[in-house]
Amino acid sequence: MTSPTTVQNSQVQNTQRKYSPLKEFWKSFKKQKAALVASIFIGLLIVIAIIGPYIAPYDPFEPNYNALLEGPSASHLAGTDEYGRDIFSRLIVGAKISLMVSFSAVFLGLILGTILGLISGYFGGWVDKIIMRSCDVLFSFPDLLLAIAIVALLGPGINNVIIAVMIFSVPSFARLVRGATLNAKENVYVEAAQSMGASHVRVLWKHIFPETISELIIFVTMRIGTAILAASGLSFLGLGASPEMPEWGVMLSSGRDYLGTSSHVVIMPGIAIFLTVLAFNLIGDGLRDVLDPKIKNN
Amino acid sequence: MPNSILKVENLKKSFQIAGGLFQKKQYVNAVIDVSFEIEEGTTFSLVGESGCGKSTTGRLITRLIAPTNGSIVVDGKEVATAKPSELRHLRQTVQMIFQDPYASLNPRMKVKELVGEPLEIHTKLSKAEREKLVLEMLEVVGLNAEHADRYAHEFSGGQRQRLGIARALITKPKLIIADEPVSALDVSIQSQILNLLKQLQQEYKISYLFISHDLSVVEHISHYIGVMYLGSIVEIGRKETIFNEPKHPYTQALIASVPIADPTLRKKKIVLTGDIPNPKNPPSGCTFHTRCPFASDICKQAIPEMRKINEEQSVACHFVN
Amino acid sequence: MPEHVLRVIDLETSFTRDNKEIKILRGVNFSIRKGEIVGLVGESGSGKSLTSLSIMRLFHGTTGKIVNGSIHFNGHDLTKMSESEIRKIRGKQMAMIFQEPMTSLNPVLKIGKQLMEAIEMHLKLPKNESKHHAIQMLKSVGIGRAEEIIYEYPHQLSGGMRQRVMIAMAMACHPNLLIADEPTTALDVTIQAQILELMKKLKEENETAILLITHDLGVVAEMCDRVVVMYAGQVVEEADVFELFASPKHPYTKGLIASVPKIGDNKEVLDSINGQVPSPQNMPNGCKFAPRCNQAMSICHQESPPTVKISATRQCSCWLYVKKDVEVNA
Repeated sequence: MTSPTTVQNSQVQNTQRKYSPLKEFWKSFKKQKAALVASIFIGLLIVIAIIGPYIAPYDPFEPNYNALLEGPSASHLAGTDEYGRDIFSRLIVGAKISLMVSFSAVFLGLILGTILGLISGYFGGWVDKIIMRSCDVLFSFPDLLLAIAIVALLGPGINNVIIAVMIFSVPSFARLVRGATLNAKENVYVEAAQSMGASHVRVLWKHIFPETISELIIFVTMRIGTAILAASGLSFLGLGASPEMPEWGVMLSSGRDYLGTSSHVVIMPGIAIFLTVLAFNLIGDGLRDVLDPKIKNN
Repeated sequence: MPNSILKVENLKKSFQIAGGLFQKKQYVNAVIDVSFEIEEGTTFSLVGESGCGKSTTGRLITRLIAPTNGSIVVDGKEVATAKPSELRHLRQTVQMIFQDPYASLNPRMKVKELVGEPLEIHTKLSKAEREKLVLEMLEVVGLNAEHADRYAHEFSGGQRQRLGIARALITKPKLIIADEPVSALDVSIQSQILNLLKQLQQEYKISYLFISHDLSVVEHISHYIGVMYLGSIVEIGRKETIFNEPKHPYTQALIASVPIADPTLRKKKIVLTGDIPNPKNPPSGCTFHTRCPFASDICKQAIPEMRKINEEQSVACHFVN
Repeated sequence: MPEHVLRVIDLETSFTRDNKEIKILRGVNFSIRKGEIVGLVGESGSGKSLTSLSIMRLFHGTTGKIVNGSIHFNGHDLTKMSESEIRKIRGKQMAMIFQEPMTSLNPVLKIGKQLMEAIEMHLKLPKNESKHHAIQMLKSVGIGRAEEIIYEYPHQLSGGMRQRVMIAMAMACHPNLLIADEPTTALDVTIQAQILELMKKLKEENETAILLITHDLGVVAEMCDRVVVMYAGQVVEEADVFELFASPKHPYTKGLIASVPKIGDNKEVLDSINGQVPSPQNMPNGCKFAPRCNQAMSICHQESPPTVKISATRQCSCWLYVKKDVEVNA
């Protein structure tokens, strides 16, 4: 059956080549130089974290009483610590721990926070009120104090650090996703889906959640930096990893006593933490410039 | 009415606009005592200006919002009081086309997902089977298969509205509610879409509830018309009768206000004075009395009843009755 | 014959996007006489709004600029004027009203203040006199309780009232030319009728010429003396309103008039124009309407048609009307 109002085939506007959201994103992201450099750094870091134990020049746990507190040299790129352990090797293996802790904590917080935020924003009413007031309660505690309180309750150890950092991440994610959900809810295509008979789950998953992704991605990268600092902070205070683990915060802590004499023991892990957090923040900034719809529309 | 696909009786919807725990509750009556029927394969239009409640009525019928009172019977089943789980049948039988062709399609979905979504929701067809139906439907609305992999924003307004129509048709509904479907389109595109809608009605015997403020469009496409003012239907009947012999003063003014694209027909207008009242503060009695050239005391006091004047026309007006 | 108030000659306007200059208006020609209502008709992408913005030089914050042509207003060429010279004309001799009265009125200033601002600036009246003048203007546009409205804010008024205020502001200095860009598109039909009546009345009282920009052919038929039809940044036809509707010459005009549903027409199927308006970046060679035209000849796809003077009151840019042996107007 031919329609008398057939549209000519060639008239699909503006497409000489096919549109792909991924290509569009990459085109814009490439222009963010700082973020690009930072991404390369983090990429390298992740690679190191994975293959670290195999490429580390020395065993990070083995003490060497002949080479205590040596400064950086050809054989020990970052020097040795108070037990003669190679700091560079410890940093490499520590990367794995830091990244693993912060990634897990943030992603767990992300999942829980997103679900709460979607439910809160979409359904509104008393569900919204309960969830938001609970988040407010958690918000009223300073991050680190809250984490300390949770670890104090659960006992020290890396896993509890992850739980603590996750818990204090949840309210931020929930609030962010709730805001994005309230916005997305107003879209006519959401109404269209509802009138079609889509279930709430379908509407949330297919039509609302995708609207929150860009803000989430930006927020996640920023949050990982915070998580690394928090985990290191907790370990510094003796509440996280056990002292012989090459976790960066622990290294900072145990190196405290030697700050005056062999400052490299503190500076090296400090630099590692600083660079990593900076890199994540730069990536987050770059992503925001590319993805943030408010900036995009200007 | 034989074979009525939709029967609406005494439909009412009030929205709470203020008040709560400690404040006195305030309501706005968006839809007041609306009744009409739509026969299979015909087009019934609700026409009116801002605040008349026509869009709200459309949303009540699809149960996007729940009515405060009244009955909505779709294809024999009562829908007004149905529980959410019972609404599945409704959502297959009644589909909606929206005004804004740019906002009603999810920009992140490809055309084949967009148009196929109702199938995904209501049927157990496999992806390949759905895609086949989608491609068929694209042809029916005047697009073609190579469009299926594209994103909605790559199309023009008229094409996007065709996508919306394809999506609405794919579950073979019996009634389509079209809420201002051509208002956002250019005139030359508008006519393409109106022709398409008429053709589809003839082929598939679909009924339309056509909601619009544009009387020229309404006159072209409808079989029956209901004229709404501030939440109520003031006149209802066959299109030809209403346009040739409008009885309600508001209908007369409305038809006379429409500028005709023919300078030789420049006519003396019935220009109404005053603004359309705010639905939050409607006038007493007949809500039109503040602007009506024939208003008298009874109009300020009593709400007029809908009375049948002849087989083709019913009016709610003290003056006419 | 009354004199010309406005003459637009070969106007070309462009925008810059992604460092590329894109020409939107490609040589617009028309004129308006004193006391005339001229309708500028076109669909989206025709360039009609941009034409009015070019005349008023309202390009702030955009990359728009006039790249060619001249705009003669009351004897002066607007394209050659400086910003400060144009500002003296804007609001005083030439005024504009827009489609969305909510966004053209300042939401945080009272109506009276906004009205008086225009009056004080252009008519240089002292404060108490300008207030009186403002109240008079509001009354002349049919706002009964003008003395109260002076102290209200835009959001307290309905759409129709706000549009009346806009008209009052535009007419306050008795301009020679009023440019109305889709002034009733956002209004309800019964309110539109009121506003159109008002504009007709003001034109009669003040002998103001009006450039009425709209996509609504019904409004054009009701209001205008002459009509200019635009497509893809150019004028395709210009005619007296009765002539235009009785016998449109350009295929686009014909298609447009035939696609409008008219009450009482009883057409089963509306005529329509296949395809859609080309985007400014993808303009076809030759006549811009040729790809959609059912009367296109081979020359139409190669060369842009010249403007042919069909009669004293009628011009058309179409190869169908170019006689091979007759000299044509540029």
